[in-house]
Amino acid sequence: MPDLHIERIDEAVAVRADFQGGVVSPVAFRRGRREHRVARVNARWLDRAARHPILYFSITDERGDVYQLQLQTADMIWRLDSVALEG
Amino acid sequence: MAAILHVDIDAFFATIEQLRDPRLKGKPVIVGAGCIASCSYEARGFGLHAGMALSEARRLCPEAVILEGHAQVYRCFAEVIYERCRAIAPAVETYLDEAYCDLTGTERLHGDLLAAAARLKRHILERTGLTVTCGLGPNRMLAKLVGKTSKPDGLAAIAAADADAFLRDRPIEQLAGVGHTHARTLRSMNIRTIGALRPLSVEALAALFGAPGRMLYERCRGRDTAVVHAREIPLSISRETSFHRDTADRLEIEGMLEYLVGRACRTARELDIQPRTVAVRLRYADGESAAQERSLVAPSDADPVVLELALPLARRLFTRRVALHNVGVTLSNFVAGAAEQVTLFDAASAGRRHALLRALDGVRDAYGHGALVSGRALHLKGRLEEDRHGFVLRTPSLTR
Repeated sequence: MPDLHIERIDEAVAVRADFQGGVVSPVAFRRGRREHRVARVNARWLDRAARHPILYFSITDERGDVYQLQLQTADMIWRLDSVALEG
Repeated sequence: MAAILHVDIDAFFATIEQLRDPRLKGKPVIVGAGCIASCSYEARGFGLHAGMALSEARRLCPEAVILEGHAQVYRCFAEVIYERCRAIAPAVETYLDEAYCDLTGTERLHGDLLAAAARLKRHILERTGLTVTCGLGPNRMLAKLVGKTSKPDGLAAIAAADADAFLRDRPIEQLAGVGHTHARTLRSMNIRTIGALRPLSVEALAALFGAPGRMLYERCRGRDTAVVHAREIPLSISRETSFHRDTADRLEIEGMLEYLVGRACRTARELDIQPRTVAVRLRYADGESAAQERSLVAPSDADPVVLELALPLARRLFTRRVALHNVGVTLSNFVAGAAEQVTLFDAASAGRRHALLRALDGVRDAYGHGALVSGRALHLKGRLEEDRHGFVLRTPSLTR
């Protein structure tokens, strides 16, 4: 397998999310003009290091690329953290 | 009868990386920089193990995927696991990838303790996607050792009555407290199993190994009186990092040292412990290393006090005309819960310093450690990536 490297993006993005059952799951996000549909939520974790926790999601989009999204619970802002690239 | 449950997270860092990126599943994955901090079970099939140099790992397994790791992510996952442990046990002692749960006296609450451990495993898997190995025993040592026999994703128990037979034929290296050096000494005396250690008297073991020899005398008989502490007081708090590029720039080196001291001291303040000893370690680009430690006049968790000792140490150690690869600071020899001890004439300034540090901690608690950058650490701005946890270090070490 070729090496993986993480490219930091760190930008606010518009996300469609499902809040059913009190559990938030991203469904799609828009970066630039392109909408990425979330094919799978790989992992989710909560970072309580600061006063306002941040929810993190590792997701795979429909193209098979793996992104990391975060939801800042203080202001409900979504940010796209990074993308893991092969090669 | 005491009942201790040891919970060990299987291939912790590597498994989280495989969870976060499904493309890594089934592949040999290594987490670490310089040496292996954690590797997946697929990598272990190639003979790789924690502590092995990455150069050796690459030679043995060229197809391995090597990642530098994400310490903060691992902490988040560990906290979910330990929260669950705290829900079933009155006292839980946690480390980064393992925990001891004292289940003594909870039989009426849980019923069969082995079934309770199985429920814990199931719950952890559902919540995190991680597998853990659980060992249940009459003391910490036996709980951990019996768990090791069923890794990964295992569950095993041992009764006090079976300890003798369980330990007797095990390799001497498996006994807690026997490291490489002790094992070499014992093997040179033809002591290869835990049972073979028993004929040695407590005096003989103390003469061989000092105070730890007395502990080995008890442990080889399956006895371990160490209790589970609900609040962990670490032996040391280490913060270290490799530079993104080897450097001889004093501003960068001292900036990094100040940053690491700040991180270590903040952890000490969070745990309400104060170190007496400060150590600084440097590793040069050619592999040579240098380390020195000094004692503080009085225990202190204040960044300026610790830095006042650490900076001259680093300056004294950095003597060669070779770039540095790695720098680290270790606080140890802790005093618990003591207010900063000062001499009579320092009392007023120490009080102000204490108030200032508490205020800074408050800001960082609210907005993340990266919200404030102090003094020399400003030289790192623009050179290192930042997130709300502060500068993104290459190989952040974790509290031991």
